[in-house]
Amino acid sequence: MTETTSNSTKQTSADPAAPAFAVRDLWKVFGPKADRVPGDPAHKDLTTAELREKTGCTAAVRDVSFDVQRGEVFVVMGLSGSGKSTLVRTLTRLIEPTSGSIAMDGEDVLAMDKNRLRELRRRQTAMVFQNFGLLPHRSVLDNVAYGLEIQGVGKAERRAKAQEIVEKVGLAGMEERRPGQLSGGQQQRVGLARALAVDPEVLLFDEPFSALDPLIRRDMQEEVIRLHREEGRTMVFITHDLAEALRLGDRIMLMRDGAIVQLGTPEEIVANPADQYVRDFVRDVAREQVISVRRAMRPADAAESDSGAELAPDTLVVDAIEAVAQSGEPCRVVEDGRTLGVVDHERLLAVVAGIDGGRPDTEGKEVAAV
Amino acid sequence: MSTTTPALDKADTPGTTPGVPQAPGPLARLAANPKALLLIAALLLAVVSAVVSGSGVWPEGLTFDLRTPLTELNQWLVENRESHWIFLYFLLHISNTAESSVDLVVTLLESLGFIGVTVLAVLLAWYAGGAGLHRRALRTAGTALVTFLVIGLLGMWEPAMETLGLMVICVIASALVGLVLGLVAGLSDRGERVLRPVFDTMQVLPAFSYLLPFVLIFDVGVPAAFAATVIYAAPPMARLTALGLRGADPVALEASRSLGATPWQQLKTARIPLARRQMFLGLNQTIMMCLSMVVLASMIGAPGLGEEIFRALSILDIGQSLGAGIAIVLIAVWFDRTTAAAGDRLDDPAAVRSTGGSLIQGGVVVVGTAVAAVVGSAIGRVEWPDEWVVSISGPVNSATAWIEDELGSGIPVIGGTLTWASGFANYVINPMRDALQATPWWAILVLGGVLAYLAGRWRAAVTTVLALGVIGGMGLWTRSMDTLSQVIAALVLTLILGFAIGILAARVDWLDRAIRPVLDTMQTMPQFIYLIPMVALFMGGRFAGVAAAVIYALPAVVRITDQGIRSINPAALEAARSLGATTGQQLRQVQIPLARKSLLLAVNQGVVLVLSMVVIAGMIGGGALGVDVVKGLAKGDLGLGMTAGIAIVCLGILLDRVSQPGAEAKRGVS
Repeated sequence: MTETTSNSTKQTSADPAAPAFAVRDLWKVFGPKADRVPGDPAHKDLTTAELREKTGCTAAVRDVSFDVQRGEVFVVMGLSGSGKSTLVRTLTRLIEPTSGSIAMDGEDVLAMDKNRLRELRRRQTAMVFQNFGLLPHRSVLDNVAYGLEIQGVGKAERRAKAQEIVEKVGLAGMEERRPGQLSGGQQQRVGLARALAVDPEVLLFDEPFSALDPLIRRDMQEEVIRLHREEGRTMVFITHDLAEALRLGDRIMLMRDGAIVQLGTPEEIVANPADQYVRDFVRDVAREQVISVRRAMRPADAAESDSGAELAPDTLVVDAIEAVAQSGEPCRVVEDGRTLGVVDHERLLAVVAGIDGGRPDTEGKEVAAV
Repeated sequence: MSTTTPALDKADTPGTTPGVPQAPGPLARLAANPKALLLIAALLLAVVSAVVSGSGVWPEGLTFDLRTPLTELNQWLVENRESHWIFLYFLLHISNTAESSVDLVVTLLESLGFIGVTVLAVLLAWYAGGAGLHRRALRTAGTALVTFLVIGLLGMWEPAMETLGLMVICVIASALVGLVLGLVAGLSDRGERVLRPVFDTMQVLPAFSYLLPFVLIFDVGVPAAFAATVIYAAPPMARLTALGLRGADPVALEASRSLGATPWQQLKTARIPLARRQMFLGLNQTIMMCLSMVVLASMIGAPGLGEEIFRALSILDIGQSLGAGIAIVLIAVWFDRTTAAAGDRLDDPAAVRSTGGSLIQGGVVVVGTAVAAVVGSAIGRVEWPDEWVVSISGPVNSATAWIEDELGSGIPVIGGTLTWASGFANYVINPMRDALQATPWWAILVLGGVLAYLAGRWRAAVTTVLALGVIGGMGLWTRSMDTLSQVIAALVLTLILGFAIGILAARVDWLDRAIRPVLDTMQTMPQFIYLIPMVALFMGGRFAGVAAAVIYALPAVVRITDQGIRSINPAALEAARSLGATTGQQLRQVQIPLARKSLLLAVNQGVVLVLSMVVIAGMIGGGALGVDVVKGLAKGDLGLGMTAGIAIVCLGILLDRVSQPGAEAKRGVS
């Protein structure tokens, strides 16, 4: 579920094996003589305040490198001022980065001329904004068709396409309304539909649901999950809400003061926070809903290795608790017919209580913790 | 500053008690306040020097003769207007085009006949109001119908068509010029940096001062009126277009950019549509200013309703002027309601128009007008029939005479309008004028400089002193002080009344609702109109001018005060209420201090409006600079008119700088 057919026809120059986005050593510095900041090794270890003191510049994005794989939901998460919104804008050069490199499908974005860049924005990416950014003088249908209009698609064709998308996001019957007549959640559905209408390869979300009420936010998150399941489109999702990040993200990149603090799956971040900052962040997360039995299990002893219920390794602890409680005995974690280990009351409770740290099967970052 | 006293209060306190020993508390506070000390020193200097010297005549040696070169320039222009290349290849084209297009429109209106024009106006208003059988469309259409019927009944049909003809051409030209300038200022930062100060200054200048240079270039007549009107009326369109373009929702613009829109696509699909509301507002203001100027331009030979008023007022014939005045008021209301209705419709989601629908509606307008015109000529009624004219001039004149006889003077205890007028002139304006004229010129320079420095630092001080210097240098010192005394008198009255009404309206909701439509209408009226009732009540003279200026400036001051007080942070007011503050305490301690910026803005607006009206009042016996301009225009003596005009502009700049809520308010310190 990586590429839809229509996307592959658009990509002639692109390398099919390359990640959707490959970002290397990216800096965005605001201020006088901003271009001098990234190259200077003396600036590398300064805090934001020290940097401003010394150079008069603010680094919104500091030396960031990551890949976005095709088909994944890549969440960038951080508090306000962490540079995440700036970062997502540099991907399509809505904000021009100061230094570093960005490749989309292997093609250098920073080397693109105006026309190529416009083409990229028109067909390869589409963005959903926190404050919607709808045009108040247009009907819902014409707002959704707006991207196609910019591409130069004829009126009948773009309206037909927009109609299809409007139905897909659950706005059927509201085509002729104005944005001002819709609720916040409905407006954001229009924003989402506008982005989907151009059939982009990558969807960029800039805190799309932060302005919405909690219940509506949940609806919209489910909408995104459903769309991703159905279409498998690559998504880059900016949020400051940890629950949202954990729910949506295949991988999460945590940012602070413009730099990456940790990059990993939700499970890795919750189970192995890279530092005290991340640990404070994930303290209140319901761990049993994020951590899988692969991480919770212990080696099976001889008696256990072929008896008891079977669980897949990516079963969440919350589901394993139910299985273990029902069978009354440890469950086996089985992959390809091979028993990897077992989980019992003790192991599962340790996960819930948050005292499962220091497991030998976790990666090297563990050393830093406690 | 120890308290948040507005600048005006400062001027009063020390002035009333010079030399009187004060309690140590306030004195100590005063000593710690360099600004107040500076002001007191300047005031003391002015008062003492005035008492000592007793005469403030600007020295002969410091004057320069501007009148002779101006007269020579005028002479040269008269001789070369037909032959010089700049006229042949540029200016004559403008004037000929203007003249012939106005003629064309007037001819068109005449050939439509009164039935055709009325039907056209009604259908246009109906279309702007949303074209249908709902209330808004019918109401605007009704306004148009009443307007044109009353114009006909008053016997003002022909001059009204002349005014409309000139209006149409002026509105088209100023809207286009304004649109282009607005796009430049809205899209280019450099454009804005260049244009903004120009617009700011233009806003300060009295309408009057626009007429003179164009008379110089084009001679009196339609072209000069056209050029002056376009220059005068284009800025609001430009300003609001730029404002709309710059104020567009940044997220919507970013969204459009993120979808790969070219700059042109972005302008067409997002920027301009998002600015539409503001642009409509600009168009509305431009139309109202066009009307105001077209009427005023009768002084330089523009035909139409203004000419009727001008002629009638110069012989103090109220009856004649009132008919034309009513016609202008109705046209103003019709224009305002129609454009406002069209603007409202933009925001009304119910009025989603299909292209086909508006085509049909447009067709109805065209066909209806054509049918009406044909019917009109078929029944032989192209011109408004004379027998349908109701003459109001006789009854009005006898009513005015009655007012003069019965209310003018001799009413026990309260006197009468004429008694008040002469009393005000003798006991308020005259002493002030004498004081200003008795104060030595250099003391006024110092005082003006200090006031401007306190309001806007060095730049304002230098501008103010320079403006005063130009006035003195042209030999118009004494006359300018005369005008200044009238302006100050009118300003003080305006501010007292305006603040009182504004504060009251801010606290009493029904009053606010009641006066709002009145203010709306008053603000759209051309300046000329305000002179008519004042002449009727006070027989002309300086007090009539001052009163007209007060009435003219009052709506803006009331509105800004009202809105300023209403728009303060409600939480602050609620906090004060919850602590048990009385109404007076709320007003004194919360509302007025927090609305300080608006109040200063109201002062500034009041100054600008009062000045522009006091000058026009020269026509009805206000004297001083205004009368020089009128005389200069009437007799073609541009040396006289221009120098007086320049002095007026200098006064305008000076008063604006002194009253600008500039540097201090912007920094938010007191």
